[in-house]
Amino acid sequence: MLSRPLPPSGRLAILRGLIVVVGIVFIAQLVRIQFVQGQGLRARADENRFRLVEVRGQRGVMYDRNGQLLVRNRPSFDIVAIPSNMPSDEEQMRALLERLEQIIDDSEADLPVHQQPGEAEASPQPADPAAGDEAAPESAAAAVGQQGQPEFRQRLSIDEAVEQVDAAMQGGAYRPVVIAGRVSSETAFAVAEESHNLPGIQLSIAPVREYLTGPLTSQLIGFVGPIPEAFVASYTEAGYRSNDQVGLAGLETTFEKALRGRDGRRNIEVDVNGREVRTVGDIFPSAPGNNLVLTLDARLQALMEEALTRGLEAAKAQVGVAIAMDPKTGEVLGMVSLPTYDNNLFARGITAAEYQALIDDKRLPLLNHAISALYPPGSVFKIVAASGALQEGVIDETTRLGDSFDGRVDGIIYVDNRFFPDDMRYAQPFYCWIHSYGTGHYRVAVREALAVSCDTFFYQISGGYRKTFEGLGIDKLVDYTRTFGFGEPTGIDLPGENPGLVPTPRWKRLTYAETWSAGDTYNMSIGQGALLSTPMQVLNATVAIANGGALYRPQLVRQIVDTEGNVVEEFGPELIRNLPVDPEVVDIVREGLWAAVNSPNGTAKALTVPGITVAGKTGTAEFYDPDIPLKANDRLPTHAWFTAFAPYEDPEIAIVVFVYNGGEGSAVALPIGQEILRGYFNLKYPPQPLEIAPSAAITPTESLPGIEALITDTLPLSDTVEGGE
Amino acid sequence: MRLNLRRFDFVLLGATLVLLVFGIAMVYSATQGVESYEDYPLRQAIYGLIGLLLLLLIAAFDYRLLTSLQWPIYVGVLAALGAVAVVGQVRGGASGWFDAGIVFIQPAEFGKVLFIIVFAQYLASRHEQIGKPQWVLGALALMGLPAALIYLQPDLGNAIVLLVIGALMLFVADLPWGYIAGAVAASVLALPVIYANLEGYMKTRIDIFLDPASDPDASFNIAQALISIGNGGVLGKGFGEGSQSQLHFLRVRYADFIFSVIAEELGFVGALFLIVLLVIVLWRLITIADQARDQFGRLLVAGVIALIMFQAIVSIGMNLGLLPVTGITLPFISYGGSSLLTLMIGLGLAQSVAMRNRKIEFD
Repeated sequence: MLSRPLPPSGRLAILRGLIVVVGIVFIAQLVRIQFVQGQGLRARADENRFRLVEVRGQRGVMYDRNGQLLVRNRPSFDIVAIPSNMPSDEEQMRALLERLEQIIDDSEADLPVHQQPGEAEASPQPADPAAGDEAAPESAAAAVGQQGQPEFRQRLSIDEAVEQVDAAMQGGAYRPVVIAGRVSSETAFAVAEESHNLPGIQLSIAPVREYLTGPLTSQLIGFVGPIPEAFVASYTEAGYRSNDQVGLAGLETTFEKALRGRDGRRNIEVDVNGREVRTVGDIFPSAPGNNLVLTLDARLQALMEEALTRGLEAAKAQVGVAIAMDPKTGEVLGMVSLPTYDNNLFARGITAAEYQALIDDKRLPLLNHAISALYPPGSVFKIVAASGALQEGVIDETTRLGDSFDGRVDGIIYVDNRFFPDDMRYAQPFYCWIHSYGTGHYRVAVREALAVSCDTFFYQISGGYRKTFEGLGIDKLVDYTRTFGFGEPTGIDLPGENPGLVPTPRWKRLTYAETWSAGDTYNMSIGQGALLSTPMQVLNATVAIANGGALYRPQLVRQIVDTEGNVVEEFGPELIRNLPVDPEVVDIVREGLWAAVNSPNGTAKALTVPGITVAGKTGTAEFYDPDIPLKANDRLPTHAWFTAFAPYEDPEIAIVVFVYNGGEGSAVALPIGQEILRGYFNLKYPPQPLEIAPSAAITPTESLPGIEALITDTLPLSDTVEGGE
Repeated sequence: MRLNLRRFDFVLLGATLVLLVFGIAMVYSATQGVESYEDYPLRQAIYGLIGLLLLLLIAAFDYRLLTSLQWPIYVGVLAALGAVAVVGQVRGGASGWFDAGIVFIQPAEFGKVLFIIVFAQYLASRHEQIGKPQWVLGALALMGLPAALIYLQPDLGNAIVLLVIGALMLFVADLPWGYIAGAVAASVLALPVIYANLEGYMKTRIDIFLDPASDPDASFNIAQALISIGNGGVLGKGFGEGSQSQLHFLRVRYADFIFSVIAEELGFVGALFLIVLLVIVLWRLITIADQARDQFGRLLVAGVIALIMFQAIVSIGMNLGLLPVTGITLPFISYGGSSLLTLMIGLGLAQSVAMRNRKIEFD
C-alpha cells in the first residue's frame, strides 16, 4: 500500500532556522566568555588554584662547647580549619567539628588539654621569697624575660571553633583557625585518615623546639612562644608576623636575631577543598637561622647539677646556684639554678595547669637565681674590702688588726656613739663570727684575715676603729665595690639580669631618711647590711681576683655559626675593666684565698682536690625573711656561699656555689664546690690507669713559704659561723 | 521487511559515533583521580556499545510495526512512572530510579522515547484534523499525564523535556498557528502561577539565575563554570589538564557541567567542534523527518529531534550562563546510562525511518 507522498514540511524548515540561530547565539556567547572576558576569567581560575604560602625558615640550633647538640627542631602538628572550605551551614559545621572532636579525644585522651588559657593570667603573682629584699623582681613573669604569655596548648570547643570560623569568614577566608594545637603525631595521622570526612580541616605542620637537655639547661636556653602583646609593634617593624614565635626567655631571647630563620614564600596549587596539590615554585626560598655554639660544657653542667642537688638535699635546702667560669675569658662553663623547669613543656605548648603550677611554686623555678635574684654576698665580699684598703694604703700586708684593743680576745669590738664618743655605755658592739665560740681572732694581717675570715679586721679596715685607726671610709668602699662589678649588671647574654644594690649614704638618706653610720660601713665590709648581689656578680668579682685584676663580661655564647659551620661571629673575651688595683694587691688577696683553703686555720681547709691547688672563700650570709623561722638563740638564718678558683698557679676554672637558707658556707656550699672542682679536673685530666703511671696523676703542689709564716696557730679548727650585728 | 543500507544515514551514524567517543573521553577526564567515579568511563563505553547495538537492531525493524503497540506502550509507561513515583528509591535527590539489580534504570528516560512513539501515532492518525479542538485537548492530556507523574518524582527537568517534546511534535504536526499563539500567550500568563507552585529547590535555581547574588553558595557552580570556559581560551588547557575541572572547582563535571570541562580543556576549538557535531546530528535528523515516507515517521523523528535539541540547548545554555541551572545533561556526552540508551533508541528509530523514506526505489 502506498500512501500519498508526504510534502516537505515548512515547520521543519523553521526548525532548521531555529537551530542555526541558537548555534550562532551559543558560539557568540562562547567567544564572549573565552575571548572578551577570557583574561579576567583566567585570572580568576588562577586565583582559585594558586596560593602564596609562607614557608618558615628553621630556627637555629645550639651546641655546647664540645659540639653536643642542646636544642633542635622537630615537626609538630596543628589541626586547623580553613573557613572558606568548611560547610557554610552551621548544623553541618557542628556535625563536622563533633566528628573531629571525637577523633582527637580518642587518640589524645591522656593529655590534659581541656583547660583554656586565661586562668593563669588572672592568678595573683606570688611574692618572691627567694629574691632577697627591695630589689626583687616584681613577679615571676619577669623571669620569663619579657612580659608575655607562653605558648598555650590550644584546644577550641565546638562553640569557640564555630565562632572563630565565622569571624574568619568576615576577614580572609583562607586564614586558618587552629582547632587543636600541637597534637601528637598519632592524632595527626588519625585526622589525616579521616580527612575525606572532614572538609576544610587540615593539618599544618610547624616546627617546634626540642630541648634535648631540658631542665638541665632551661634556665640558660629559655624557650620560645608567641610575641608578647607589648612587643607586637616592635617585632612587626622588624618584619615579624603576628603568629611568629620569638624567644621569650634565656638565650632564645638574647640571640633571637641570630637564631631566627628567614621565612620564604612558596606558590602552591590547591584543589577546591584547599588541599595542596603541588608546589608551583619558590617565590623566594626560606633560609634557616644561624646556630649558636655555647661556652657551656654540658658534661660539667650535668655534674654541677648533680652536685648541687645532692648538696641541697643534704642541707634540706630548696634553692641553690652553682656557676663555673673560665677566669681567663669570662666564658661560663656551667650555670645551674635550682629548682629548674622543663622548657620542653613550653615547646610543645604548655597547659594552663602546668603553667599555673610553675607560677605558684614558691621556689620560683622559672627564675634564674644565678642572675636574677639578689642575696647578701657575706664574707666572699671581703676580697673587695681587702683590695680597697691595700690599694688606698689604709693597711699594708703586715698591718695587724682585730680585737684585744680593749684587752679582751672575745671577738667583739665597739663603735662609739656619735654623740657620746667617750661613753662606752652608748657604744655599739660588733661581733666577729668566732665570738660565738667564745674567743676572737686576736690580731691578724690581711692574708690571715681572709683565710680565717676575721670580721673584726674587715670592720676596722673599712670603717676605722675608734680613734685608733682610720679606715677606708664608706665612699671609697662604695667605689671599690662598684669597681668589682657590684651594683651593675654583668652584661651576661641572658635577659632579666638584676643589677643588685650597693648602698650609699645618699641611698640611705633617700630610702630611709637616716644618716649613714659607721656601723653601716662595718656591715657592708663583710657583705651584709643592705648590700645585695647576684651569685653571678660574686663569681665575677672572684674571677677578677683569680686572673690578676680583669673583670670580664660573662659569656654564654662562643660563636654564631651558619648551617655550613662557617663562623658568622666570634665572641672573644670582653673586658669590662681592669680593676684599678696594683698587681701586688691582687696577689696579696689571692694569697689570702690560698690560705683559706691551704692553711690549717683556713675556713675552707676541708677542701681537697687531688693534685690541684685551690684557692677559695667561704661565706655565711645572714638574711631576714618573715617566712623563715629564726634559729636557736634568735640567730638569723643564713645563706651558704663558697667561691673558689683552681689551679691556684694558673686558674682555669672559677666557681661560685650558693645555697639559699643552707646554713654555713664551709659545711654546705664548700662540699658542693669541692665535688664540682673534682669533677671538672676529672673530666679534664681523666685518671690514668694505675698500672701505666701511678705517679702521673699527682702534680707536685707549690707551697708558698712566705705566707705560712704569717699564719698563727692559735685558732680553733672549727666550722665557721660568720655574721655582723 | 527489507533492509536498504544505501538509505541508512551514515553521516548521522558517524557523527553519533564521534559524539560517543568524545563523551567517553570527557567523562574519563572529568572523573580521573576520584576513586568513587573510577568506573564511569568504562560504564559509559559499555552503555555506548549496548546503545549502538540497540540502534542497529531498531533500525532494522520497520518503525511502522510500532503503530499497533501505541496503547499498550502508553499504559506501560504510565504504570512504570506511577510505580516510581510511589515506590522508587531515593537516588540523587530525585526518586526516578528503579534498582534493576546491577544497574539503576530511570523510567523517566525511557518514558520519553516511548512517549514519542505513542504521541507520534496519535498525531499522525489525526493528521488532517489536527486543528480540531477535541484532538488538541486529547493531545494535551496525553502529554500532561506522564509529565505530571515525572514531576511528582520530583524531576522537573525531565517533565519539562517531555512537554517540550510534545510541543515540538505538535508544531511539526502542523498545529494551526492560532493554537501556537494561544499557547504562547497562555504560558506567559501562567508563568507566575507555575513559579508559585514550584518546589523549593526549583525556585532557588530560577532565583539564582535571575539574581546570582541571592545565594553565593549555589551561584558558586555557575561562576565556576564560566571561569572554566574562560580559562580554556582558543585551544584549551589540554585534555585532562584543566585546572578548574581537575582540581574539582567544577561540580558534577561528568554530567551537568561537562560542557565547561570541554571548553576548558579543549578550548574554543573543542566547544565549537561539539556544537557543530550536534548541529550535524540535528540537521540530518531534520532531513530524515523531511523525507519521511509517512506522517508517523516524520513525527517520530521530530520527537527525537526535540529530545536531543532541547537537552543540548538547555545544558549548553546553562553552562554558558544563558539559562538557569537544571539537572538536564548534555546528550551523548554526559555520563548516564539510561539517558544514553534512550538517545540511541531514538536514533535507531530515526534510522529506521531513514531507511524507509519516500524516495522511489529502483532496483
